Amino acid sequence: MNGFPTNDFVALLPIAILTVGALAVLLSEVFLVSGRRGYQAAITVVFAVAAGAAAVFRPYSGYVFNRQAVVDDFSAFVTVVVCAGLALSALVGAGWLRARNAERGEFYGLALFGTAGMALLGMATDLLVAFIAIEVMSLATYSLAAYLRRGKRPSEAAFKYLVLGAISSALFLYGSALLYGASGSTLFGELAKGRGSPLSLAGLSLVAAGIAFKIAAVPFHAWTPDVYEGAPTPVTAFMAAGVKAAAFALLARIFLSAEAGTAAQATAFSGVISGLAVLTMIFGNLLAVPQRSVKRMLAYSSVAHAGYLLVGVLSASVAGVREKALAGLLFYLAAYAATAIGAFTVVGALERRSRPDDEPADAWDLERFAGLARRRPALAFAMAVFLLSLAGIPPTAGFVGKLYIFQAAIGAQLYGLAILGVLTSAMGVYYYLRVVVYMYMRPAAGEAEPLSSAATSVALAAAVAVVVLLGIVADPVIRLAQAAGAILL
Amino acid sequence: MNLLTLVTFLPLAGALALALLPRDEHGQHRVVTLAFTLLTFALSLGLWFGFDASAGAPEFQFEQRVDWIPSIGIGYHVGLDGVALLLVMLTTALTPIVILSAFRAVEERVKEFMIALLVLETAMIGTFAALDLVLFYVFWELILVPMYLLIGIWGSQNRLYATVKFFVYTFTASVLMLLAIVYIYFHDGGTFDYVQARQALQVTPDHARWLFLAFAVAFAVKVPMFPLHTWLPDAHTEAPTAGSVILAGVLLKMGTFGFFRYALPLFPEAALQYRNVIAVLAVIGILYGALMSLVQTDMKRLVAYSSVSHLGFVMLGLVALSAEGLTGSVYQMLNHGVSTGALFLLVGMLYERRHTRLIAEYGGIAKQVPWIATAFVIVMLSSVGLPGTNGFVGEFLILSGTWLSRLGSAPVFATLGAIGVILGAVYMLILVERVFFGAMRNPANRALRDLSVREGFVLVPMLVLIVVMGVLPGPFLAPAKPAVDRLIARFQQAEARLGTGPQVGTVTPAVAVRAAAEVPAPTLPIVLPTGGAH
Repeated sequence: MNGFPTNDFVALLPIAILTVGALAVLLSEVFLVSGRRGYQAAITVVFAVAAGAAAVFRPYSGYVFNRQAVVDDFSAFVTVVVCAGLALSALVGAGWLRARNAERGEFYGLALFGTAGMALLGMATDLLVAFIAIEVMSLATYSLAAYLRRGKRPSEAAFKYLVLGAISSALFLYGSALLYGASGSTLFGELAKGRGSPLSLAGLSLVAAGIAFKIAAVPFHAWTPDVYEGAPTPVTAFMAAGVKAAAFALLARIFLSAEAGTAAQATAFSGVISGLAVLTMIFGNLLAVPQRSVKRMLAYSSVAHAGYLLVGVLSASVAGVREKALAGLLFYLAAYAATAIGAFTVVGALERRSRPDDEPADAWDLERFAGLARRRPALAFAMAVFLLSLAGIPPTAGFVGKLYIFQAAIGAQLYGLAILGVLTSAMGVYYYLRVVVYMYMRPAAGEAEPLSSAATSVALAAAVAVVVLLGIVADPVIRLAQAAGAILL
Repeated sequence: MNLLTLVTFLPLAGALALALLPRDEHGQHRVVTLAFTLLTFALSLGLWFGFDASAGAPEFQFEQRVDWIPSIGIGYHVGLDGVALLLVMLTTALTPIVILSAFRAVEERVKEFMIALLVLETAMIGTFAALDLVLFYVFWELILVPMYLLIGIWGSQNRLYATVKFFVYTFTASVLMLLAIVYIYFHDGGTFDYVQARQALQVTPDHARWLFLAFAVAFAVKVPMFPLHTWLPDAHTEAPTAGSVILAGVLLKMGTFGFFRYALPLFPEAALQYRNVIAVLAVIGILYGALMSLVQTDMKRLVAYSSVSHLGFVMLGLVALSAEGLTGSVYQMLNHGVSTGALFLLVGMLYERRHTRLIAEYGGIAKQVPWIATAFVIVMLSSVGLPGTNGFVGEFLILSGTWLSRLGSAPVFATLGAIGVILGAVYMLILVERVFFGAMRNPANRALRDLSVREGFVLVPMLVLIVVMGVLPGPFLAPAKPAVDRLIARFQQAEARLGTGPQVGTVTPAVAVRAAAEVPAPTLPIVLPTGGAH
């Protein structure tokens, strides 16, 4: 332990870059005179890209901080996904906020801080580091949810998110304490020591419950529809893409180390996770069906997708398909991030511009989408691509992701979960296609939307390109995911 | 570049080209689309003439195999056997006709309409050409999207209900097939390649049954087999004419083709176990479809239910598993594509003139529109299987092949099927009588126009095919023969493994050959596959 731990800080480079970016944006706010803040989004994008590049071309791989965190392909993949999510959300946010005269540096600063937490979460191999990362991520997203408090709904959303988030943090922390009691360590690698003891199972379950809040798994999903609907739409996109990816990375690491070496015999903890997966797939889809608000429907859809991802996590515990399952999980997260950001962006573009107080109650109603294909063909086409991807219809990223995850599940002999997964995703087709029906098959209603800003258009085009390309030439990304799936641990 | 790949993706290239054209130049959209589909057809003739139907020729021709997503075992592997070739030809021939028929019928959002049809053509050809299970699935699902838009945007009053039902129904049935495909991947040495999977698949009989069912349900919905047919009358009725023609002409064949290519050869033992169930459902479909057709008041719905009946014949011939039955099924797939396609075109033409599909609105219009009436009668005769038309060859082969097959109580099935043929004649004759003959009561029909030149161009190829395929079936049967022989051989291996004695082929091949000799065709004997008759 002599000398300066250079490697530790080199390893944190992406996080450092994001933090510096956040500070830079905040500083610019202090010295700002003019009202135009378009460059802040640009700064955010630059720092996001730099952080992603730093993760890819990392000078150091391996454990850091006394094995409490690790830098590997897995963490790099997660970092790239969350940074890409940040860049897209920042572009979307620029247009959205300007239209509401609410463009301020805090938005980008908070998003950068939150992303730093997410990237750290992807590296954590220790319960305490994970907790710190969760808090960094969550505090930023709580504030972002409350960023534009016009009317009651955003305040309610932010408050709900804060309270329930605090409970989930408490559960996570309590579970960590129990796990420490059972295994004598907070390192993930040591968790297996306490395996079999009731204390360990209780601890793992509590930790899983804490994470289940973040990934919005049923029955810990109750906050999701309100928060997703109430939060400013670019923030919703950012949460759906980033928080989910980071939390799943954490869950995968914990679950794998807890279940390490137990290929054939499922433990009680596997039972907990598969119970979550079953409930999440069924109820996420069922609850999405009756929604008339497209934003709320997408919120429930994000719950449903957490269910499919949980199937991927479960498959990862089986020796033969571990790498396939992890790679599938990562690919799915990337595909979902691009798709969800895209879909929320379209939703944001259709929102009625602010009256001074609240968004009207029908801001995201299906009727807003009626006849969109005539009024704004490009926007409707983009939305159709995202919806097809969410539904898992080829040739989109969503299809390859689902194929990959269910391939792993079949390989892991989780037949029941795989069958439930495809059947519930067939249910999903119904509510996703309903939006397409409105866009393409109903007469136009209401006034035409003003054109989206250039930044929004760029973000949308990028999201469409990613979704389609990942569906057609998926191989390079799958290779990266596979490399990342062969994680150290 | 591989010719098959070129034929597959040329329509898609057309769709992309169309996307770049200005929005309001409807004339351009129509002509460009027609040009692309005609070019596709011309190139596909190269497949037709280049195909080697001799017994020693490779099973799959025009093959191309490149990696697509190698990291998870998915390849781009395409190739045609004789049956796929026939269906690809049907697709490429039917599409330009459909485009031409829609020149006047579709006035709104012409560009999107044409793009949807072109994407659909690529997906259809791809479905028949694919030799990789995932590639097949991708094309299979890709079909749903343009078809969904075609029905939902350009359909009639109740289109939204019909299109969502169509999509959800077929999608739900297909997802289990995807799981079965993935399961195969883990039990054939880790590949999605169809040819390798067929050789190397190792599953327990129990699992093979489940896999067979997963495939069979996906295909049965598409066929559609009773009782999974309920989406079809709605979709057919609400779709625009072009959509109905494609749906009846090609899409339904994807289901029967799926049985022929995937469900039967991949799991022969399981297929032998379930063949009686399928035969029963097929016969129920034949009779039920015919009876439903008898009571319809809407012409399109009538033709839709007649499809249920006709496809029942195809299924019956498939599970008869005799050379005659299988050959007849393949032939009947083509026939149904041509004659039901032509029926929908004709009904569509009447609809364009009067904007109603109700039979009661017409009556006695033969004097007013003699050419339409003539065409309709010819197509009707083909549909009921009059000797000299294509319909006769197919139905005859299927019924004789079923009667002579080793299917349990085969004569009963064949007899019930024959009753279906009679019912078919009844409802079609009644339809023609009510629409075209008798006194003209409805004054609105006095102003009906007869065929325009364009409509003549739409119908003539169909009528020519009906007669040619009825009189000269040989060239159309020849390509199918090697594929049929291979399937029979595969089943003979399976019955040898099972050790249950012969279950496939015919009881008395001599009768079959004699019976085939009675098919009225100058080029007899029909190139009848005899490989399975033993």
